[in-house]
Amino acid sequence: MIFMENKKPLSPHIQIYRWHISSLVSISHRITGIINIISICFICLWSSLLILGESNYNTINFFLSSIFGKFITLGIVWSFSFQILSEIRHLIMDMGYGFELQTTKFTGLLVIFGSFILTVAIYLIGKFFLI
Amino acid sequence: MVQISLPQNSKVNKGKYFEDKTGSKNIRKVNVYRWDPSTEENPRIDTYEVDMDNCPSKVLDILNKIKNEIDPTLAYRRSCAHGVCGSCAMNMGGKNGLACTKPHAEIDGDIDIYPLPHLKVKKDLIGDLDGLYKQYESIEPWLKNNSSKETTEIFQSKEDRAKLDGAYECIMCACCSTSCPSYWWNGDKYLGPAVLLQAYRWIVDSRDDERKARLKKVADELKLYRCHTILNCTSACPKGLNPAKAIAEIKKMLATANV
Repeated sequence: MIFMENKKPLSPHIQIYRWHISSLVSISHRITGIINIISICFICLWSSLLILGESNYNTINFFLSSIFGKFITLGIVWSFSFQILSEIRHLIMDMGYGFELQTTKFTGLLVIFGSFILTVAIYLIGKFFLI
Repeated sequence: MVQISLPQNSKVNKGKYFEDKTGSKNIRKVNVYRWDPSTEENPRIDTYEVDMDNCPSKVLDILNKIKNEIDPTLAYRRSCAHGVCGSCAMNMGGKNGLACTKPHAEIDGDIDIYPLPHLKVKKDLIGDLDGLYKQYESIEPWLKNNSSKETTEIFQSKEDRAKLDGAYECIMCACCSTSCPSYWWNGDKYLGPAVLLQAYRWIVDSRDDERKARLKKVADELKLYRCHTILNCTSACPKGLNPAKAIAEIKKMLATANV
């Protein structure tokens, strides 16, 4: 009987289940969360290297000024933007609002498009006001 | 535990192909998950060509047609055929639902039919729901009233009765629980949307005296808080209920009340 139990196959799950806006936002929320933790660590590391002298700062600054470095920076800005907007969505849901299917779809899309708009906005603010 | 790929014995192979014998011009391909417990073989996908000119509108009608006219070995649960019993819950076109209420016109392209996701398969489209029923039992889904007068009616205002709307209609078809990734990875401990909706139904029932005990019982990192509002449950529910909202309400009650 135990042999029979073990023989039973597991029905397909994530391989066949269709994605929709809310599940996409949810998994992206997790992934961006992990990216954010890693990038915060790197930012901390970068700032602590300042203690050890100017040359360290210059090395990292050189890397971040390259095309690849800029891509990474923009990626991190997007990841933070996404996380913030998605977190606001979750906070509203925790208060018990916005659970109707149409609303969740709308707020999900808002998070996705909003994250890109926020990224561009932060980029422009950085470019024209902070340098 | 998160296990993205299927175990070795669950990998799905290509199965038989049943060509149309009616000569109909209006054919749809239906891919159905098959597994026969009497063989040592892995599950397979059989493809049936179905004559849609002589087929009523729902997915269950297709399955009945296959079983009656093409391949009588196909096994699936069904009973009322009117979205009341919840027997024919399965995964159609990548989404859980009741085969008897899901119009096949809503599915584009070939129609893929699988059992409910992440269950031990008993045969073909029949999944093993024992775990879910045990969890349902664990929330004690019956009225607990300490009133000594067992012969008198327990009154309920219209407002209190209205709180049960959206919760009592659940038919326990398991479409929501088996659509939930959290339930896939932690189904042994996380109660899942279906059971939590029922827990909520008893927590908000004004006639029940065990509200606090019930709340305490579900207030658990794994039992309740594995819900991350992915909302697969709400989008899957064939009765249009909202388990995600009920779970959020339980979390809210726990956050605001002294339990």
